[in-house]
Amino acid sequence: MKTNSLWVDAFRRLSRDKTAMMSLVIVIIFSVVAILSWMGILSAGWSQEVGGSNMPPSAEFIFGTDLFGRSVFDKVIHGTQIAMSVGLVTSLIAIPIGVVLGALAGYFGGWVDDLITWFYTTFSSIPNIMLLISITMILGKGIFAVYVALGATGWGSLCRLIRGEVMKHKEREYVQAAGAIGGGHMRKLFIHILPNVTHLVIINASLQFQTAIKSEVILSYLGLGVQGEPSWGTMIDDAKLELARGVWWQLAASTLAMFLIVLAFNLLGDALRDALDPKLKGK
Amino acid sequence: MKLFGLILLIASFLVGCSKEQNFDERVIYLISPEKIAGFDPINASDMYSSNEMGKVYEGLFEFHPLKRPYELMPNLAEAMPTVGDDGLTYTVKIKKGVFFQESPAFKGVKRELKAEDFVYSIKRLADPKLMSKGWWTLDDKLVGLNEWRAKYAQAEATNYADEIEGLKKVDDYTIQFKLKAPFPQFLYALAMPYSFVVAKEVVDFYGKEFLNFPVGTGAFVLPKFEQTNRLVYTKNPNFREKFYPSEGEDSDIANGLLADAGKKIPLVDKIVVDIIVEAQPKWLGFKRAKNDLLEVPKDNFQEVIVGTRELTDDFKSKGIRLHAEAQLDVTFISLNNQNDLFKDNKKLRQAISLAYNRAQANKLFYNDTAIEAQGVIPPGIAGYRKEFKNPYTKYDLVLAKKLLKEAGYPEGKGLPDLVVETRNDTSSRQILEQFADNMKDIGIKVIVGQNTWPELVNKVTTKRNMMYTMAWGADYPDAENFLGLLYCPNQSPGSNGANYCNPEFDKLYKQAVVLQDSPERTALYEKINEMVALEVPWVFSFNRTKYYVTQAWLKNYKFMEFNHTQFQYLNVDLEVKKQLSKKF
Repeated sequence: MKTNSLWVDAFRRLSRDKTAMMSLVIVIIFSVVAILSWMGILSAGWSQEVGGSNMPPSAEFIFGTDLFGRSVFDKVIHGTQIAMSVGLVTSLIAIPIGVVLGALAGYFGGWVDDLITWFYTTFSSIPNIMLLISITMILGKGIFAVYVALGATGWGSLCRLIRGEVMKHKEREYVQAAGAIGGGHMRKLFIHILPNVTHLVIINASLQFQTAIKSEVILSYLGLGVQGEPSWGTMIDDAKLELARGVWWQLAASTLAMFLIVLAFNLLGDALRDALDPKLKGK
Repeated sequence: MKLFGLILLIASFLVGCSKEQNFDERVIYLISPEKIAGFDPINASDMYSSNEMGKVYEGLFEFHPLKRPYELMPNLAEAMPTVGDDGLTYTVKIKKGVFFQESPAFKGVKRELKAEDFVYSIKRLADPKLMSKGWWTLDDKLVGLNEWRAKYAQAEATNYADEIEGLKKVDDYTIQFKLKAPFPQFLYALAMPYSFVVAKEVVDFYGKEFLNFPVGTGAFVLPKFEQTNRLVYTKNPNFREKFYPSEGEDSDIANGLLADAGKKIPLVDKIVVDIIVEAQPKWLGFKRAKNDLLEVPKDNFQEVIVGTRELTDDFKSKGIRLHAEAQLDVTFISLNNQNDLFKDNKKLRQAISLAYNRAQANKLFYNDTAIEAQGVIPPGIAGYRKEFKNPYTKYDLVLAKKLLKEAGYPEGKGLPDLVVETRNDTSSRQILEQFADNMKDIGIKVIVGQNTWPELVNKVTTKRNMMYTMAWGADYPDAENFLGLLYCPNQSPGSNGANYCNPEFDKLYKQAVVLQDSPERTALYEKINEMVALEVPWVFSFNRTKYYVTQAWLKNYKFMEFNHTQFQYLNVDLEVKKQLSKKF
């Protein structure tokens, strides 16, 4: 009988799931938009005055203009770049920390485990938003601080997950077999065990991504996030005042964009879990 | 020091509360747009806390609620002081038979106000251990007070028993002040909340908790201050015989402001102050008759006002009245004149000022109602000259670029990014976004730094800033209060946050501030203002006009710049309220 690898199998399962594919398409579109914006191909002129102040959506400006006559569409695109970059960079910071610490704690146990467990329980006992605010206060404001703050706070749950999973795996026969033929700790851990828990990392990454996006929006809304460039958070902050005079398009455009990407990542995360970890399906 | 951010708009939600209106009790509903920092008069540095303290505490003098230009009148003082021939000795008689509000600190005894209490309260202002925010008002003014302060700066505790030559009680009802040098603003300083009178027993009884237990001589009582969103003041049952004034401006009769002339105040039973920070909930509350007096938020301007002075029909039909008042204030973007960039580079400062499109800002943020500031002194204060137009507050990109080149930064080349610090509310950010956009036109990159209020104050007082935005409102109607913002010895942590130092300015300032109000002094103020305006130590922005709306039933409201004593005069017409409330 021909057997497929886990990944091929998972992809087949995933491709049958229409919602998941839709979500994947949305994520890809957002990523492409973010990259194009980052390269300066899209929305380079977000800071240009293109029309009158607070013009409603029209054929010329599909999301209208803001207080300064800038195109809201361009600001949403630029906000997409900010949001996606925050999602990506914080995942790149948080995931390695979570995986390495989780794996070490789970594999070695003992005082290593105690120390790391203490560390992440302490971290997660501090209200998240408070911690984020204090980190941005120390590092000064701006996108760099947002990356660091979200990256440094986002690894706790992944760490716990990996720790538990590694604990389970290290007693398995294949690991013991690896030990029996002379594999050292590092070999057992990184060559044998880790590949068997990667699916958790992927599932977690998609959730991590959307949490980071939401946090960035909240921080920017509070004036602690990106400075001097549009983000969905600052657009919502603007809208808070403008709504009184009937200017709804900044709010609508930014929340729509955020809604789509957060929903897509959530659905994708669920579908990935189902595809990669079929035992959990339906749980 | 009445510091406040450009415009106050921060997130919070209106707590939904609907209760039946009570038409038997005379209650006024007011709003405070900021949290109150506590009830210790020596720290009444922001207008919101001052307004609350003014309901409970009182000082020797207060501004007449109706007369304009603003005029001081005796409050706890029996009459205006007698001044010695040298112009330095002020003798003040205080009213007899004034009692403090009841407090457990007095152990059931009715406690009369004595001259000693003023001596004590002013010593508290000077006490180095208390680090009062209002010390600047009397710093270096009274004979012996600075020495007393210095003596205890390092000591374990301050000894209030020491006699101070410049601050003495003559008898139980007479105080004598002796000034070091002429200080024409002295009585204004005594009218500020910093020198409101407190009782020693209360301070000792509550210790550190004193700021939560206000016990004054004022018209209203607040038994305990808690950090809640609602403060409820009740009428002081033992308030002395104090009457509503029977004089005012000519227009006051027509406006019904003298209808209560001669009546004993306070005229209402209660004042309820809701603390609501966010603009829209306040506004919706006003529209539903939940509060009686409100500043019109900028985004609701079109809904309320036609042209510049006329209410829309909907509001008129509800009897709502509009009060449009030019403020004695100036908003500005302060340049740190000790920063290497701006120090000795007048042309750079001028170029920045010339590139700022004030007309656009006025339209976007003030609905075209503000006046473009030409200098430090705002209209309405002697020293402002209408004819004076600052050549550097024009919008002139050509000249700006030319000056920028002469300053050594052709097209902005070589100039680092400029960081402007501001509060983290939406409007403050938007105002600077527009500024940054303007600066881009001459090649300067501006970054907007958003800060919480304490963070911003910290960056200003420790000089850790390049530029920041601020508004300054008058503490008293004297140009000294504005020009002092650029006086070198006042530099941070003092009120000169721009750290501007100009020996010529300082010399003229010192000459002017010891003069009594006179045409000569006004001419000197004008000269100083116009001289420093050309130096551009700040990017001068606006003198604002504020728009207040009052409900038909709120009586006796007349806009007052120094409004902390105003609330005791307000009244409410319950009959009108009952009838009109159906319309809401």
